[in-house]
Amino acid sequence: MDDLKIGVFVCNCGTNIAKVIDCDAVIDSVERLPYVAVARTYKYMCSDPGQDMIQADIEEYGLDRVVVAACSPRMHEPTFRKALQKAGLNPYFLEMANIREQCSWVHDDPVAATEKAAALTAAAVMRVAHHEALERRSVDMCPNTLVIGGGIAGMSAALDLADAGNRVYLAERSDHLGGNVARADLTAPYLDSARDMLTERVTRVVEHPNIDVLLESQVRKVDGFVGNFKTTIRAKADDGAPVDSVYDVGSIIVCTGYKEFDASRITHYGYGKLPNVVTSFELEKMLRAGRVTTKEGKAPQYVAIIHCVGSRNLEFHAYCSRVCCMTALKYAHEVKSAVPGAYVSDIYIDMHAFGKGMEDFYRRSSEIKTLFLMYEKNDYPVIRKADATDDCDMLIEVNETLSGETIEMPADLVVLMVGMEAREDSEEVAHLVNISRDKDGWFIESHPKLDPVATTTDGVYIAGACQAPKDIPDSVAQARAAAARILARTALGKIDIDAVFAEVDEDKCSGCRMCNELCPYVAIEFDLEKRRSHVISALCKACGACVAACPSGAITARHFTDKQIFSEIEGVLA
Amino acid sequence: MTFEPKIVGFLCNWCSYTGADLAGTSRIHYAPNVRIIRVMCSARIDPTFVLKALHDGADGVLICGCHPGDCHYSEGNYKMMRRYPMLKSLLADYGIEDERVRLEWVSASEGQRFADIVNDMTERVRALGPSPVKAALEADLAER
Amino acid sequence: MAEDKLQIAIYWGAACGGCDVSILDTDAFILEIDKAADIRLWPIATDGKYKDIEALADGDLDVAIMSGAVRNSENERMAHLLRQKSKVFVAYGSCAYMGGIPSLANLVPREEIIKRAYLSNASLEPGNTTVPRPRTSLNGYDLELPEFYARVYKLDQVVDVDYYVPGCPPQPGQAQIAITALVQALTGQAEAPAKGSVVGAYERALCDDCKRTKAEEKKVKRFYRPWEIMQDPDVCLMEQGMLCAGSATRSGCGVRCPDSGIPCRGCYGPAPGVVDQGAKLLSAVASIIDSKDAEDIDEILLTLPDFTSFANRYSVAASPLQRSHRR
Repeated sequence: MDDLKIGVFVCNCGTNIAKVIDCDAVIDSVERLPYVAVARTYKYMCSDPGQDMIQADIEEYGLDRVVVAACSPRMHEPTFRKALQKAGLNPYFLEMANIREQCSWVHDDPVAATEKAAALTAAAVMRVAHHEALERRSVDMCPNTLVIGGGIAGMSAALDLADAGNRVYLAERSDHLGGNVARADLTAPYLDSARDMLTERVTRVVEHPNIDVLLESQVRKVDGFVGNFKTTIRAKADDGAPVDSVYDVGSIIVCTGYKEFDASRITHYGYGKLPNVVTSFELEKMLRAGRVTTKEGKAPQYVAIIHCVGSRNLEFHAYCSRVCCMTALKYAHEVKSAVPGAYVSDIYIDMHAFGKGMEDFYRRSSEIKTLFLMYEKNDYPVIRKADATDDCDMLIEVNETLSGETIEMPADLVVLMVGMEAREDSEEVAHLVNISRDKDGWFIESHPKLDPVATTTDGVYIAGACQAPKDIPDSVAQARAAAARILARTALGKIDIDAVFAEVDEDKCSGCRMCNELCPYVAIEFDLEKRRSHVISALCKACGACVAACPSGAITARHFTDKQIFSEIEGVLA
Repeated sequence: MTFEPKIVGFLCNWCSYTGADLAGTSRIHYAPNVRIIRVMCSARIDPTFVLKALHDGADGVLICGCHPGDCHYSEGNYKMMRRYPMLKSLLADYGIEDERVRLEWVSASEGQRFADIVNDMTERVRALGPSPVKAALEADLAER
Repeated sequence: MAEDKLQIAIYWGAACGGCDVSILDTDAFILEIDKAADIRLWPIATDGKYKDIEALADGDLDVAIMSGAVRNSENERMAHLLRQKSKVFVAYGSCAYMGGIPSLANLVPREEIIKRAYLSNASLEPGNTTVPRPRTSLNGYDLELPEFYARVYKLDQVVDVDYYVPGCPPQPGQAQIAITALVQALTGQAEAPAKGSVVGAYERALCDDCKRTKAEEKKVKRFYRPWEIMQDPDVCLMEQGMLCAGSATRSGCGVRCPDSGIPCRGCYGPAPGVVDQGAKLLSAVASIIDSKDAEDIDEILLTLPDFTSFANRYSVAASPLQRSHRR
């Protein structure tokens, strides 16, 4: 390291930095640091002349390392890394000191700000001396995709991928495509036919030359990593015996959907005891058959629809199932259409009409004379069998909030809007592809706001209701987003692995396995023969958790090594 | 001359460092006493960093990460959360006053909160006075 | 005293004598040492006075092996003297290497130690006010006692150390290997290890040599002292909730403690390259706590009494903070 030559460039950023920080004083203080060969300021370091200046100095002074004291690295680190690269220097030989966002823009005392800027720049100088040359690597990206689940989300994703010329394996557990949408008659808010929508999808999927539809198939095993997965899928042979096949894919999309809440768990609704209390799905069956009747075969005079069955309820699921409110309004229209003259009452807590066209739909539903009754959370309506003298089958007692009165609603048919819940096999699926589930069993996305379809396992995506309750438009949007993400990768043919990742030094690893479970990306594997842990660099996202946790210090975080950070600590305190 | 504490801050790239940058773009002013070192995740923070900072003369150490549940790397901040109480107990046994080392969750949108934390911590550490570590270790050597 | 025999001195600072016993425990090898070397000073086993060492010329001693830490001025004086007179100076045992058990005293201010030892201890005669003083005059004589330092130091904070032999004490087998390596280096039979090396130990943590199985899943909801549960002798102690320092401790001791059902206490010091053993142990323990709730984590840590003494049991003097800074 004796011959190291560091160049320090302090940016004025016009007056943004120079107005508060005495950049010449910063130059003076860092010039005395070991290995600093040149230190200068400039108006706008990120500008072309600024970058040219850095490149010229790299050549003239034979610089090995460069420090740029300027804006936040989150702003211009890529810019200056490119500048180094153009001058023939490894881009990771750069370190930036944030003397704008975290100094000149936030401090008013010029003396204190200059002192701090000098300390931050010194820290960068001391750190950069320990930087190593790092190279980005590439691995092959298999263009095939496995889509788990043949519902509306799965089919939509499969079609986009297949249309782009890629092979898709669509694995569906049951014997037909369509998932939960196949159980519906019409869809809110425009009362389109679910069947027509599905027929279009299913036909295209089944006829698509690039899609292999695997019905009655289950994914048994997933090995490998992004771009290079090997998946084992069990199907049924002609004689009914199970047969396993292995497929090579580069990406996986999980579209396993949801199941409905079991209404019999709420005893005061009498589901399973009172014959004319049905679930939303049971009503759909009737609507698809074209007849809405009571168990006794009569046309119901009074139909009541109750919202939030199993949802928004601390005893069962605290979350809102999102689709039920609009579906209930759909039923109001459909029932009125099937049984003209029926009285429809809609018994709800809040009306969640959040989406496009939904508020209009809500208004139209009241225009057709649906009776809306609001109840308070935790103050549930109670259903009981009516007396022989009543002209209805059941009576529903509701503590109606808007009127403040307790109302007894007659009902011949009660429809329970059962909520969505995670499928029983969601735990198994999660383990299979190495993703996590939240406390409600829904699969967890990479970032709740900025990355809703990726997961912490690179190459595995989630779409549709399996991620959280959602309606058809959002399921399709997510599915097609996942497809787009995959296409962006397959278009390149290779995946770039970031140069920054963690590495286990096998000469130091004792095989204690403290790190094995720490990685959210399951990037750490254990070689049972060698008794050493190993980081799969393709999967590592460089968070450093394993590095700090390793009791032997056997794991190094490239570009965030202990030595580099220790130097920075010394530098800021000098 | 009033004592100006020197506080080392370890901030995670995705939330807290970005939050600190936001304080900058919003031109929210705060005390100049915290010098920030960037790590990718609060999980990277080895307790040794905190001890070394105190040994090297820091009057205080501020650790910031994403709010629990929001970590860019899923659960990195929980790892920090699990280390922290043991670190505090160790520091207490080494006679380091409680308010010199602090853990705060700061999101990328919490520029003002970051500024408030820095101001608050600066005043608390100022009230404690300079860290005893460097002076004490030097005084020990002087008697030999 | 043959001219071609190596000249060695073995001495102790703030020590328990265990390290000297460990050299004696090399059994017949002691006779080899006797054949190859003249032991000019070794209080536990041979005669020898300070003035014998003072009379030597610098470098007359081939090897000085010093165990124990520096607690007082006599320890320091002898460390300096032996360093001055020797070609090779070895810090032998955990106390010499890291401060050892004596350096736990660094967590208590000196005044409190004196008070407890001489004034307030229950086993003292009530009303005692006598405390030791470095200097006193009696019957015309000036008497001196070593000065009790404000904190315990490891040897390399006081003198330049060439090699470290870790352990509390170093296992006799390793002592033999270390001494043999030194003798061979000094007699030109083999290359000397790099200056500053740890000798008589391996380059990985204990887990590498420990026969217990290590699973991927390491999650504990509480910690146990060894007597609190019936342990599975074949499974990693940490996985069973027992605080074993093995993953953060250099191997070489033969894993005798975990093999006997007792968790490792870390006496061989940190793995190579690690700055603070205690910090790494802290990280290891944090990694296996099975909780994401701050209050729950505090509850779990209640089952871990006195974490600091576990983390830095042998290494307070080697830790970045080195002693309590309570005012």
